[in-house]
Amino acid sequence: MNYPFWDIPILGSGWVIGLIAIFHVMISQFAVGGGFYLPLAERKAQRMTDPAMREAWLAQLVRHSKFFLILTGVFGTVSGVGIWFAIGLTHPEATSTLIHNFVFGWAMEWVFFMVELTTAAVYYYTWNRIDPKLHLTVGWVYAGASAATLIIINGILTFMLTPGDTWISVAGTGREASKFWNAFFNPTYWPSLALRICVCISLAGIWALITASRIDGDKRPALKTSLVKWSVRWLVPSFVAMPFLMIWYYLMVPASQQALLSLGIDTIGAGTFSQVTRMALVIIVTSATIIGVAYYLAYRNPVEFNLSHAMAVLLLALMATGAGEYSREMLRKPFVIGRWMYSNGVRVPYIARINQQGYLAHSAWTWNGDGSGNPNSYSRGEAIFRGECASCHTLAGYRPLKDLLAGRDYASIGNFVTMLHENKADSPYRRFMPPMAGTRQDIEDLTNFLNAQVNPPTDGGKKPLLTAAK
Amino acid sequence: MTSKTLTTSVYDWVDERLGISELAAFARHKTVPVHEQSFWYYWGGISLFLFLLQCFTGVLLLVYYRPGAEAYESVRQITFVMHFGWLIRSAHAWAANLFIFAILVHMFSVYFMKAYRKPREFGWLSGMALLGIASVFGFSGYLLPMDELSYFATKVGLEIPAAIPWIGPAIANMLRGGPEVGEFTVQRFFALHVVVLPALFLPLLAFHLWLVQRYGNAAPPSEEAKPAAERKSIPFMPNFIRKDLAMWLISLNVLALLASVFPWSLGHQADSLVPAPAGIHPEWYFMSPFEMLKLLGNVLPGESGEIAGLLLFTLGIALWVFIPFYDIKKPGGQRARAAHYFGLIAVFALLATTVIGYWTIR
Repeated sequence: MNYPFWDIPILGSGWVIGLIAIFHVMISQFAVGGGFYLPLAERKAQRMTDPAMREAWLAQLVRHSKFFLILTGVFGTVSGVGIWFAIGLTHPEATSTLIHNFVFGWAMEWVFFMVELTTAAVYYYTWNRIDPKLHLTVGWVYAGASAATLIIINGILTFMLTPGDTWISVAGTGREASKFWNAFFNPTYWPSLALRICVCISLAGIWALITASRIDGDKRPALKTSLVKWSVRWLVPSFVAMPFLMIWYYLMVPASQQALLSLGIDTIGAGTFSQVTRMALVIIVTSATIIGVAYYLAYRNPVEFNLSHAMAVLLLALMATGAGEYSREMLRKPFVIGRWMYSNGVRVPYIARINQQGYLAHSAWTWNGDGSGNPNSYSRGEAIFRGECASCHTLAGYRPLKDLLAGRDYASIGNFVTMLHENKADSPYRRFMPPMAGTRQDIEDLTNFLNAQVNPPTDGGKKPLLTAAK
Repeated sequence: MTSKTLTTSVYDWVDERLGISELAAFARHKTVPVHEQSFWYYWGGISLFLFLLQCFTGVLLLVYYRPGAEAYESVRQITFVMHFGWLIRSAHAWAANLFIFAILVHMFSVYFMKAYRKPREFGWLSGMALLGIASVFGFSGYLLPMDELSYFATKVGLEIPAAIPWIGPAIANMLRGGPEVGEFTVQRFFALHVVVLPALFLPLLAFHLWLVQRYGNAAPPSEEAKPAAERKSIPFMPNFIRKDLAMWLISLNVLALLASVFPWSLGHQADSLVPAPAGIHPEWYFMSPFEMLKLLGNVLPGESGEIAGLLLFTLGIALWVFIPFYDIKKPGGQRARAAHYFGLIAVFALLATTVIGYWTIR
């Protein structure tokens, strides 16, 4: 634990990233898909033979591109920075690894990001001011730049699940960046890219339905019908390709993660299937619902399609996106970077050293007493809880340890912590949880702290670490 | 014979005997108003859909459920042994909660659109009766697993009828089948849940739907004030039905998510000899009346306070149920405004007491 710990009670720090990320993905993937929607729609309008319809389409595209610019340029960028802020505080070790390994990747990402932002603004502000062909070219430049941002970030995100054998062979040697391309084009890169492209295309159609729903169907039925129907068609590629892409993705994830999913599918009947399989079901069920709802509400009733209907489709898309991002995160368990760093920031090869020297021996930001004596076992236990458990658990909120350990006495909690420490091959927790790293004393300290939470002493117990420090 | 002509011949054969074309023609001519509040029209249909889902899942549960002494064991088997039993049980339980929620939304939307006014008084009254039966459905179904939570929540819940002066204890005893909640209570609640309540609910539902067909959807007063030429409407068939189907699909999606991500749990077997676990409380839809009675009991302690509380509570419900008879259309609109404020107070009181109820059990 080389960094201070960011304590988010009840919600847990992981959900801070999660909430920002889901919001961001909804917009950033629209920024990519919408980057193709706009020039394709503009080209379609320019080729229309009916001048009235052409003008109506172009006028609507001006409105849509304004909405697009504000949403992606303001909310997309702010939430993107928000993710950096949140992951830097929640997972400083993992963020550090990503920065060191992909420094040129990030540089490329930001170059394309600047091009993206600039061309989005130029595209909107030059409607009817420059030659239509040149305007369309600006749109295509935007589309290319936004696609490039996806192509780059996808390499970094998939690296976290499957860093690949080549990168793992040099990890920890200081030469990690020399295997940049191996880490970038990792085993899940291509299926993940294809899946994300499909999602981007769908979101382009779904967000376009928001602006199309605002057209007055009574006054302009032909315009509304053509735009709504054209936007709904953007959902079709995902609907057709998604099942095959998901199978491809499944085949490329590591065997341990495949087992997590297949075990989940095998145990659906008994109802004991894993959380990640439940989330995968949410994606499938909600994606199918989106198609059905878009068909009934929009495609078959384009003139009456209103903002409430469009919001319903958007909320379903939010649900599917949220479930998708959650599953992606869950699939990485027990790692934050596959086979290299556990989800609590402990590097896999450091476990043996920590088991020998103690978890707090190398924790630069832990309070080590005021000089009058060593901190007590409770305080050390709290520091270990924060470092080793709190990336995924809270005490009394999300994945609450007070509830999960409820009913256990001191000995039982101690046995449980010891089981996590031993991390035997047949341990049922091994698939999801990192081993508890530390000495016998660390195990005892953590047990003391957890026991005081689950079975609070009647005298009010010891004060928490921060209060004790004062 | 091509498949098309075969379909046509079959349709003609059935139509000649059942008159389907007449029904279709009726549906085509029926219209639904379109305005800013149209969204609220879907909640009646959503309630109906959730009820149908409960009938379907309820019949499946009935195959394995055994009331009486084996109630808990049979639910344990359904949840952990039967394949997909957990899903059917979760879907049934979640659909029941969503059903009550959808009915409440439907009721308040009808209230604020003033859709209870002439000639729709019977629609309102039958709807209120359906809500009453639905809440008894929920209450009786909650006990059936006979786990710790349902046992103690039923004990707490039965305190409400038991608090009725003079006849309350007798009613509570009759429902329990004795002085304590036990296997006889489960038998009684089971009979109530699968026979008595459906026998009351289904004809009343048919009556309610018939009234909706007869008088159509009511437009809010602001819409009715517009000249006929400015009011918009869409055909019930196929336009409104398509939208209704989309809403049903969304409801099904929400239910599937809740049932699979948050499966309904089963606690320890009920044991009357162990003390009640901490935080026992009635279901969320009973939390408000439970809390209101508790608060009134604090203000007016003792038996007289209990009676006064119940009287006040009954008066509030009576005012709500009989709103069509005193909020009638009048030129000044004073009564309409008073009824509107009464509705707002009711919503606030329901929400506030529910929040207080959950806050105080933490």
